[in-house]
Amino acid sequence: MLPFNRPIIVFLFLIVLAIIGLRQCPFDKPEMVQKSRILMDTVVQITAFGEDNARTIAAVDAAFAEMKRLEELTSFYLKGSDMERLGSAGSAEVSPEVARIVALGLEVARESGGAFDMTLGNLKSLWGIEGENPQVPAPDKIRTALKGTGMDALKLSGRKIEKKDPETTVDLGGIAKGFAIDRAIGVLAENGIRHAAVNAGGDIRLLGDRQGQPWRIAIQDPRHSTRFLGKLLIKDVAVVTSGDYERFFEKDGVRYHHLFDPRSGYPSKASRSVTVLADNAALADALATAAFVLGPEKGLSLLARFPSAEGMIIGPDGKIFTTAGFDKVVEWQ
Amino acid sequence: MAVTGLFSRMTFLDRIIVLTLLVGAGYAFHVAAQKKDGSRVVVEQQGKVVFSAPINGDREEIFSGPVGETLVVIHNREVYIGRSDCPRKICMGMGHIHRSGDVIACVPNQILIRIAGEEKGDDRAYDILSR
Repeated sequence: MLPFNRPIIVFLFLIVLAIIGLRQCPFDKPEMVQKSRILMDTVVQITAFGEDNARTIAAVDAAFAEMKRLEELTSFYLKGSDMERLGSAGSAEVSPEVARIVALGLEVARESGGAFDMTLGNLKSLWGIEGENPQVPAPDKIRTALKGTGMDALKLSGRKIEKKDPETTVDLGGIAKGFAIDRAIGVLAENGIRHAAVNAGGDIRLLGDRQGQPWRIAIQDPRHSTRFLGKLLIKDVAVVTSGDYERFFEKDGVRYHHLFDPRSGYPSKASRSVTVLADNAALADALATAAFVLGPEKGLSLLARFPSAEGMIIGPDGKIFTTAGFDKVVEWQ
Repeated sequence: MAVTGLFSRMTFLDRIIVLTLLVGAGYAFHVAAQKKDGSRVVVEQQGKVVFSAPINGDREEIFSGPVGETLVVIHNREVYIGRSDCPRKICMGMGHIHRSGDVIACVPNQILIRIAGEEKGDDRAYDILSR
């Protein structure tokens, strides 16, 4: 028997106590850890959920360390990297990771009919779009920079990369970042993390869902930096967007961006933006570049050749083309 | 008065319970209000925090990096890069940030600015922007 006759008040009191108690419980929801670093010439942000905060932080730090290690292997500008060694030689024995990147790159190059090309290093240097003084080069210089490029310019045997022309510069810019994202996700999973996102400058891979809900990934409108076109509701997948608005300069009213058509040596005018979903970020990264260069019709055909790939291509006139699988996960604005 | 009458009919234990509920509700509101205004601007260089301040106080700070100076502006609960000595000024075009977890950076000057604090849950339209 209670010492007073106010059962409703007591009942309310117990409910409030229970709510406050549950909110304090550590098992109520896993804690979120979010950290950012500047790596691979972009901002990398890792978001991870875990029961044990210290272990989650350690896992995130290990993922960053793995990305840094891969940057040191794949950057052309870092002394001693695989790419730097290959740059000054006709062939080189590379690390297993770089060999895997090149193998995947060669596959996408083949399937895209050369629209994805890892041998455009000299052309990119000539334009200098990501450097201090970008310029529109003279046509004869572009022709010279295109020598020694193309699908057959590289050969991979085991871990040995051979260049047909020693002057060719291999550039893994269109695929290495995706591979590093994949490895970061691998490290997080190896450390017991089940829900995480790695975002490197808008190239994303998701591990699991976001605590029982799908991740909501917005896709930027290529012509309005403050707007987004739609929202993807997804989990356990990679999302990469390539657009003509990312890195560019303008001269005489013309926009020159960083996604080159290997056939002409000029920035491709076939698309405004491409978003690719795939089961890994390296593939999504390479396919996004290739589909951008190919344009909507051929780009969608390319995506169809890869079972895990879905996507959206925005044509030069702003018209949107999507695959059936993409339509299932997008919520348009 | 009805309230006075009600109060006089309450036992001592009733009053304790009502007071506890009121204090609890007040505390909950206080915590909620703190979370809403608790966002901070954090600036990192080489992975180390070099500056941290509440987002609700207007101020300007200059940070030096490998290519010169970068001016970080906090104004009207938003943060942006107002000026930078980097060659392409891409950081100045990254816009204004205000949501917990948002990040802008001057990559050449190795300066990373993020908003830290409690997430506000469902008022976020999306988790990550693919661009």
